Amino acid sequence: MAEMKYNVPNNQWPEHPERATQEGKNKFAGFWTFLGGETVLFASLFATYLALKDSVPSDDHLLAADLFHLELAFVMTMLLLTSSLTSVYAVYQMRNNNFSKMQLWLAVTVLLGAGFLALEIYEFYEYVQLGHTFRSSAFGSAFYILIGTHGFHVIIGLIWISGLIIRNATRGLSVYTAAKVNTAALYWHFIDVVWVFIFTIVYLLGVL
Amino acid sequence: MSESSNEVMSDVKLRHVRRQRTKEMRMQLTSFGLMIFLTFTAFGMVALDFNATFITGAVLLFAFIQVVLQFYYFMHMKDKGHDFAKLFMIVGMYFAIAFCVTFIYIVWIGAPIS
Amino acid sequence: MSTATTQKRGFLGTIWEYMTTVDHKKIAILYLIAGGFFFALGGIEAMLIRIQLAVPNNDFLSAGLFNEVITMHGTTMIFLAAMPLLFAFMNATVPLQIGARDVAFPFLNALGVWLFIFGGIFLNLSWFLGGAPDAGWTSYASLSIISPGHGIDFYAVGLQIAGAGTLISGINFVTTIITMRAPGMTYMRMPLMTWTTLIASVLIVFAFPPLTVGLFLLIFDRMFGSNFFIVEAGGNTIIWEHLFWIFGHPEVYVLILPAFGIFSEIFATFARKRLFGYSAMVFATVLIGFFGFMVWAHHMFTVGLGPTANAIFALATMAIAVPTGIKIFNWIFTIWGGSIEFTTPMMYALAFIPSFVMGGVTGIMQAVAPADYQYHDSYFIVAHFHYVIVGGVVFALLAGLHYYWPLMFSTMLNEKLGKVTFWFFLLGFHCTFLIQHFLGLWGMPRRVFTYLDGQGYNAANMISTVGAFMMAFAVIVLLINVVITLVKNEKVGRDPWGDGRTLEWSLPLPVPYYNFAQTPLIRGLDAFWLEKKEGNGEMLPAESLDDFHMPNNSIIPFIISLGLFIAGFGSLYFASGKDWAIDAVANLPERPWAIWLLVIGLAITFISMIVRSFKDDLGYYVKKEELIKDLEEQERGAK
Repeated sequence: MAEMKYNVPNNQWPEHPERATQEGKNKFAGFWTFLGGETVLFASLFATYLALKDSVPSDDHLLAADLFHLELAFVMTMLLLTSSLTSVYAVYQMRNNNFSKMQLWLAVTVLLGAGFLALEIYEFYEYVQLGHTFRSSAFGSAFYILIGTHGFHVIIGLIWISGLIIRNATRGLSVYTAAKVNTAALYWHFIDVVWVFIFTIVYLLGVL
Repeated sequence: MSESSNEVMSDVKLRHVRRQRTKEMRMQLTSFGLMIFLTFTAFGMVALDFNATFITGAVLLFAFIQVVLQFYYFMHMKDKGHDFAKLFMIVGMYFAIAFCVTFIYIVWIGAPIS
Repeated sequence: MSTATTQKRGFLGTIWEYMTTVDHKKIAILYLIAGGFFFALGGIEAMLIRIQLAVPNNDFLSAGLFNEVITMHGTTMIFLAAMPLLFAFMNATVPLQIGARDVAFPFLNALGVWLFIFGGIFLNLSWFLGGAPDAGWTSYASLSIISPGHGIDFYAVGLQIAGAGTLISGINFVTTIITMRAPGMTYMRMPLMTWTTLIASVLIVFAFPPLTVGLFLLIFDRMFGSNFFIVEAGGNTIIWEHLFWIFGHPEVYVLILPAFGIFSEIFATFARKRLFGYSAMVFATVLIGFFGFMVWAHHMFTVGLGPTANAIFALATMAIAVPTGIKIFNWIFTIWGGSIEFTTPMMYALAFIPSFVMGGVTGIMQAVAPADYQYHDSYFIVAHFHYVIVGGVVFALLAGLHYYWPLMFSTMLNEKLGKVTFWFFLLGFHCTFLIQHFLGLWGMPRRVFTYLDGQGYNAANMISTVGAFMMAFAVIVLLINVVITLVKNEKVGRDPWGDGRTLEWSLPLPVPYYNFAQTPLIRGLDAFWLEKKEGNGEMLPAESLDDFHMPNNSIIPFIISLGLFIAGFGSLYFASGKDWAIDAVANLPERPWAIWLLVIGLAITFISMIVRSFKDDLGYYVKKEELIKDLEEQERGAK
């Protein structure tokens, strides 16, 4: 059975711990490949949304300009942007072989992400109250599937990062866990990238 | 994982590496500031009701800059060994634009484009 | 573990070994068995179609059943036969060709194959559970949204599961080829099979997500009340066509590129010449891959996209002929002046060139958008795509089966029977599909279950059916060949074709489970040929003999896939009788237990994923002593 060294002294910690092993390199290359696929996945959803965003069964249905208010979207954007920065800090501490600080920053990331998710749920709740639902119109379907898929990614990311915090709590840092943390951070940044396009294309251009 | 080297870094190298990381962190903070600024401006422009065509172009440009910052600094794409990552993202973005253009301009929405 | 230990474990042990394996060579065999099974199934469906169409006014199949049969024939052949069989050869060869001990993600490799198998079973269970999908393999939303019963839902959910497996395998191959190449194996020294696998896998990564999205939209529309394709609520069925063809067109390149790879290997081997224009071949492969994404709307010329869009997509489509032509010429120049050996794989390769060119030429005809209005939805289209897919992909699969059989099973298929198969298949193929071009030009529409007497279609359809029976006979001979070879079990040794050029033939047969005792040093293109020419006869090692690391077997991929399989049924029956579903599904009786199936299935999948990620799976070491023992044994065997 292969052995894994945890919590090595600083001078034995490699310069790029996340890519120090063959498995780490594979994870790194494989995950970027996966993100390429994710780009196309979201592109399909964006294209569907853009094609259907003004399609409602009759004139009295709500459209983007009637629904969206920018304050909420702004706060959500700030939360997610900040969480992206905190996960950068987590990776920074991971590279510096500072396990406890890394865990701390990951936890902050999860909290900010959960805040974002809570606001999104509140937003959906509000829209449903107004009669804008998944089933009310083609616009509704396209809106909820785009934002919902992003929200689903946030949920997966939250489970993933909290899972890492828990599983590594008793283990500490090794080149094996470093690769895991780095991959999760990449995922989290990508979620933020998608959100940048969502708030621009859906919200900002939607209320014009 | 078996090959995880037990190479010991010299103190000088360690200090150098750490300094590099701190420097990088500073760049990341700067780009974070820039991203916040761009977000503010984008939301501000929409709230202030500028010319719609102008805003459309501007916010899309801002989004693009933000994403480049996110990729290059937050996701370390500027480091070496990221050639494939770049290629995948560029191709993915290219397809994304192609999909959106065809869906907007070619999908029949009620009536075909005259 | 090595084959010797597997045999000792007995039958159940072998089954368990295959269920838990993460070894790319065993996964290749799983793909081969499952893909071969689905290929037979799709073939039977094809025979039913041809029997029904043999004579006018036939009632062998009812109209509804005929729709189900053509839908399942197309879907099965593309998703469950052609692609998995190509994956079988990719798995069997690519890690060996680049000098790796396994793929980058052995666990995901296993997950990919099990998702495909469960997805395929799910899709085919529709035959027994209230009717198969009946909207064609393209499942256009305007048809599929009103299709009664759960047929289309089986299609959507089944392909979702199988498609996830394919995506995972695609990512795995991209990563393997990027990160796992042996020292000296630069990109421009990779065999063409590896290159085409890389590009096809990249296409998978970019093409399958749009299909995933499209299928989700369809599932949500049919079963959960959304309105993407419901026109009354603002939906638009053209979105499905776009999403499907954004996936569907690259998909045909996913199929044909590895086929090109297999043929490139065969041409070079049996013409005993280096592949002509290697770098042009690589460049052409990349170009085809890229263009493959820019042409999807040529399937939709008659939708009414407007002249500008049609012109752009027509031009892009015609442009693909250029790199493809480069390839054809390079193959011809490879055999030109070579010392050709007419083995069965080489026969398929030689027959492939004219057959595929014919399919390509009709493709260019359809790229002319105004002319396509005439060909659209006629038998001309059917003839065209069978010429490229059978004449290209299936020929490659049969050639690859003969060519790579010794690598996978360390026995040789019978050459005589192989040639019988070849001739019957070749003649049957042209007999079936050549005449269909004319049927189409005479006006016979595709996807009709019968035609009237006196329309002038009788003789042509009969000829086509006779050809189909010849192909069926050829496949039966092939099966007999396989059985005979397995029963005889005459083992062959290293480099059984005698002219192996690439790294995979440098290995002893059967290939040890760790592939390479020492990672080889690659000194040029056609690495093994190079060493043979220099008189070494075997690869030089790039590392000293030492312990190395291998991944552990795992049952978790099987369980994850099983969970999704169960959840698939849950989601499908959950919608039965719910008033928000479309009428065709809302009319079905309600199934109160379905929700539990969904929950249990997802729980199984989720928990096994958590278990997997909370465990440190560090693999095991292959010890130096074992390697020395194996190497000595090989030495003795060679003498």
